[in-house]
Amino acid sequence: MPTDSGTATYLEAVGLALDAEMDRDPDVFIIGEDVGQFGGAFKVTKGFLDKFGPRRVVDTPIAETGFTGLAAGAALVGLRPVVEFQFADFISCAFDPIINVLARHHWRTGDPMPVTMRAPFGGRLRAGPTHSQSVESYFAHVPGLKIVMPGTPEDAAGLLISSIRDNNPTLYLENKYLYRRLKAKGPISLDPIPLGVAKVVREGRDVTLVTYSAGVHQGLEIAEELDKDGISVEVVDVRTLVPLDVETIVNSVKKTSRAVVLHEAAKRLGYGAEIAATIQEEAFWHLDQPVVRIAALNTPTPTSPPLEDAVIPQPAQIAETLRKVARA
Amino acid sequence: MATRTTGTRSRRKPAATAVGDRDPDLLRRIHKFMVLTRAVEDRMVAMYKGGDLLGSLYTGHWHEAISVGAASALRPDDYLAPIHRDLGAHLWRGMEPWQVMASFMGKATSPTGGRDGTLHYGRLDLNIYNLPSHIPANFPVATGMAFAAKYRGEDRVCLAFCGDGSTSRADFHESLTIASVQKLPNIFFIENNQYAYSTPLRLTSASESFAAKAAAYGMPGVKVDGTDALAVHDATAEAVARARAGEGPSLIEGVTMRMHGHAEHDPADYVLKELYEEYSKKDPVELFENVLIEAGVLDVDAAKQVREDARQYAIAARRKALADPMPDPGDIEDGVYAD
Repeated sequence: MPTDSGTATYLEAVGLALDAEMDRDPDVFIIGEDVGQFGGAFKVTKGFLDKFGPRRVVDTPIAETGFTGLAAGAALVGLRPVVEFQFADFISCAFDPIINVLARHHWRTGDPMPVTMRAPFGGRLRAGPTHSQSVESYFAHVPGLKIVMPGTPEDAAGLLISSIRDNNPTLYLENKYLYRRLKAKGPISLDPIPLGVAKVVREGRDVTLVTYSAGVHQGLEIAEELDKDGISVEVVDVRTLVPLDVETIVNSVKKTSRAVVLHEAAKRLGYGAEIAATIQEEAFWHLDQPVVRIAALNTPTPTSPPLEDAVIPQPAQIAETLRKVARA
Repeated sequence: MATRTTGTRSRRKPAATAVGDRDPDLLRRIHKFMVLTRAVEDRMVAMYKGGDLLGSLYTGHWHEAISVGAASALRPDDYLAPIHRDLGAHLWRGMEPWQVMASFMGKATSPTGGRDGTLHYGRLDLNIYNLPSHIPANFPVATGMAFAAKYRGEDRVCLAFCGDGSTSRADFHESLTIASVQKLPNIFFIENNQYAYSTPLRLTSASESFAAKAAAYGMPGVKVDGTDALAVHDATAEAVARARAGEGPSLIEGVTMRMHGHAEHDPADYVLKELYEEYSKKDPVELFENVLIEAGVLDVDAAKQVREDARQYAIAARRKALADPMPDPGDIEDGVYAD
């Protein structure tokens, strides 16, 4: 855990928020593979075992179905489990309890199901097809789950706190490429940030870029570059996919009349399809151009750098697309 | 109990377990709920045949000694994670027969208000988990309930049931693994009724028994005659005491026979005739009634009265369920998310 939250990385911000919630609420515990004595594969929970003990920092066998279902049972009788999946890729092992136990229990019975599932996801670390996946779309289709995808250390903290306090199963996806590459701009606030509120992270006139997670930083960098050519890009960070803040997206598109959606998940039925469809339903007559999606190719994520770079959206492609849409 | 070794121990006996010096009120209560379970299910079979129900009907004929025998070894504040053969455990806990019928009819008064149906009728206010169809998905949930009890320093335990077919799934293996390394107060009860839908035991497991699997998880495993209510009750009580004392989980296998199809639509013509013949002589309700009559705990007239009361109760339950309203679809989008 960092001692000075003013220098907190994205990863440390996740740890700070979890630590604060475990301090605040004795019903919150963390469970997963290697989260205790090892401090987690990425060290989010480093020091937690010493501070909170094995009762609240629970090392499990390699049993995703088992510990996800365990979290459901504990939540049903009043605890607030935080489940760590070592990599989002392994969440497929827990598909059954997430879909059939967690997601629909409240609708079936009225019993709250406050489970937060943390999972590091995404590419750019040359980790290959089964350690680089973006899993949000599998779960966005399922009624009853909330999906949170913070793009900054500040949001990582505030949104995790809200996820833990929420009475629903929440999938909180941490972009592992950002873990140690992003630092907070100031001290991390441990105030909750409400789920379902998007943020205009850069104002612009000519085109709206709707994105989340690592896409926010790609988008901001490219927007600065395009500004020099007189193209003004508005960047909207949706922050939570479910619930989706349609109003903020639509208001931005009504202003710019052009929209590009960016994510690093594969394009076919990626969450960009939902955003693009929502924009055309809600703001069709405000559009000067069709909504364009920038996403990964419809292939698995390769390992070797030239191959992975060919699959995941790259800055040049994003800049070119924004330029084209803004000027067309 | 602390000295008890890990592994299998057969409790199967040639004759039914004797009543000994047990509380006669408890014995009569177990009998009453076994009879009620049978009466409600017989009534519901008639309802299925008469077209009262929406889909199929899953019954627990010949599971009454397991469902009531095991549930009666718990305290009301213990957790229960039953399956579709365990109506007796639900009734023991306070579930009303009309609620179960309403569930199979999609009525507004079912425990899920018609959103879920058929066998999905658990109630958390009775400490009963309402499971999805993916049995034994209730096993990991049961470890969570037991985990919460231990987390809070309570001495509550959780009893979860599954079938012989369930033992092949990851949920079973992962739950028993986690429960044993975490020493959770769980009792895992396998209702071995010879068939997983149409799949016979020989295609489900090559183990000598399901109880034998306990040794691999480092917990006690015991195989009991699942038609003998007191054998089931005793084995469960022992496992409950162990769990309550903080000594960890246990596995129990109760051997019985699925005397109806997987559900009522299933003629089960794949079942070996010899099994039906063998088990037709081992009706758990009759067996237990005879034990009580022989021991002088119940007389023949009293037993008759229990049966008649149960029949009337089931008739009244059907009447209520039939008269209950269907749900209003107006609020169908409410409650996808909790506030």
